Amino acid sequence: MGTIIEAAATATESALGAVQLAGAAARFCLKRASRTPGELDLLINAGVYLDNNISEPAIAALIQEDIGANLGRHPGGAQGTFSFDVRNGACGLLTGIYLADGMLASETIKLGMVVAADADPDPGFSEGFGFPAVGGAVLLNADNQRAGFTAFRFATFPEFAGLFQSEVNWHQGAPDGAGRPGRNILTVKVADTYATRAAQCAESVTRELAAASALDLGDVGLLVAAASVPGFAGALAKRLGISAERVASLPASLAGAHTAAPAVALEPADLAAAGTTVFVSAGAGITVVAALYRI
Amino acid sequence: MGENGPMENQDQPAGDGAHWMALEGGISGSPRGAAYASRFAGIGACIPAGRLTTDELMASTKYKTDIELERLTGVRERPVVGPGEDSYTLALGAARDALAHAGIGADDLDMLLVSSISRHVGGMRIQIEPPMSVSLKEALGARRAISTDISNACAGMLTGVFILNDLVRQGRIRRGMVVSGEYISELGRNAAQEVRDVLSDQLPSLTLGDAGAAAILERAPEGAPGIEVAGFTTLALHSRLCVAFPATIGPGSTMHTKAREIHQASTDEAVPLLREILDQAGLEFGEIDYVVPHQTSVRAIRKGIEQWSQDLGATPKHVVVTVDELGNTSSTTLFVALWKYLNESRLAPGDRVMLVALASGIEVGVVIFRPGELVECYGHDH
Repeated sequence: MGTIIEAAATATESALGAVQLAGAAARFCLKRASRTPGELDLLINAGVYLDNNISEPAIAALIQEDIGANLGRHPGGAQGTFSFDVRNGACGLLTGIYLADGMLASETIKLGMVVAADADPDPGFSEGFGFPAVGGAVLLNADNQRAGFTAFRFATFPEFAGLFQSEVNWHQGAPDGAGRPGRNILTVKVADTYATRAAQCAESVTRELAAASALDLGDVGLLVAAASVPGFAGALAKRLGISAERVASLPASLAGAHTAAPAVALEPADLAAAGTTVFVSAGAGITVVAALYRI
Repeated sequence: MGENGPMENQDQPAGDGAHWMALEGGISGSPRGAAYASRFAGIGACIPAGRLTTDELMASTKYKTDIELERLTGVRERPVVGPGEDSYTLALGAARDALAHAGIGADDLDMLLVSSISRHVGGMRIQIEPPMSVSLKEALGARRAISTDISNACAGMLTGVFILNDLVRQGRIRRGMVVSGEYISELGRNAAQEVRDVLSDQLPSLTLGDAGAAAILERAPEGAPGIEVAGFTTLALHSRLCVAFPATIGPGSTMHTKAREIHQASTDEAVPLLREILDQAGLEFGEIDYVVPHQTSVRAIRKGIEQWSQDLGATPKHVVVTVDELGNTSSTTLFVALWKYLNESRLAPGDRVMLVALASGIEVGVVIFRPGELVECYGHDH
């Protein structure tokens, strides 16, 4: 039994905050699969830059409420929805898929969704925030006939932790507009060398995944790769010897998409035609998650 | 110690198997996830030495409030960090303590989950990226571990237990840790600047204390006591009753809670869910030796247990209360309480312990387990 991607969807309305973007993507995704919110047993949010930098509750619970998924217990009904957040930067969506894959395999759940969205939490005040506002959703179920996700590989490279950092910190005397003494400000710093290091790290992890899975990278039908910086997928494909036409590309306006990037790349993809798909995400840490998907 | 091989057909559904919670174990939970059993191998904590009494905190409020916080909540004092301590150091200390009690090295961990809400690294700085798990993994030397941060409000650590339990029971991992460090007394300091009366939505922030906690789950030897059933659900109709975000008045965060509504909703909603999980475990409430509820206030715990006992028709033998001396340490409360009781030799190997997380969301999580050899990790056999 394997975990199958039933649908993927994105939402990009610029006026929306991250929670609304994730909710919109979730609704599109469910509609695309002819599913209802009440069928969701699991909802994982992997977005990082969220409305007002909310730390509690889990953003997934807010999204669950917004899409109307099993809001309260009703007697004699089917299973409710369990929601929580994964915070693993640009690797969050793949990490969420890994956790959902476990619960699908154990039949703890029958249908799960991983959503991710980022938008500037404090427009006009955040420093260094350059990610496009986009939400993504991936709907997952278990299938007895198809392999689906067959392997995951995780690695961290803490020696490069300084290349991608973000924080919220108090800036005394920073403009507030309400006469307050300062402001908590989000600062994102991505070093010029991050993209190259991320590609190096991603290459090594992908080769490990291929070796452990007896995968010839020449047989890869589709590479879905993202690291929150434009051009990453192409650069990684070149390192791996995968031809450019087999790379799931992002639209130019979303080339630097953060946690939702894999969903953005997936939305137009034909996984069945690809046969073998390799997912690779790299993010702050540097953290890399790679996964093999066969259909 | 030996390990069991795959067990077949132990968790096959009975009847229609319908249940509201996502379930691991029990009669009809996770029917394909029962290759192995799991157990707690070690519980760790890191409680800062500093203490702030309720009298001291209430004396620091900006406005004259006349709030009798200790009488209302039962919280006499709470641990608070000192110089050089924050969410990260508390988590690291707890993780090392758990490893020491479990008698294993960090290299034995296949997974590391970090569930801190507060994420203060380097004082009041709130770290967004990289996730705290990257630096904790490095500091511990957990080279092989899959690592990620998760977030689920005060249910974060129990969510981590649920995830690890799922993966251990399938044999996907052999051993994993969930750890959290919560530097949240700063929310109390911020609340003290804004609370004007007992109806303030920041009143619950005045009960918060700082602590780190860690729990290690591992594959259990065949027949050994361990986790019997775990369940979780999110009742999102109430998702916005408690919300925290960076403060507008100064460093750190503020938390805004509709305390009466969230307490009532979680107490009411928990009853059928507790019934469901007890049924899955084949137990009555009266067969639970120790209930460890989320620690919000002594009064809330007593009222909640009273209602649950009335509705479930039985009373558990013991109810664990630590909020009076430790305050509400958010995601760490259940495991700080468990760690305290283990260190005080209060638990016997065969006791049935029920951990109940009730958190913003509203998240309802329940784990029923027997400690078994865990009690021996604390220098005694009971």
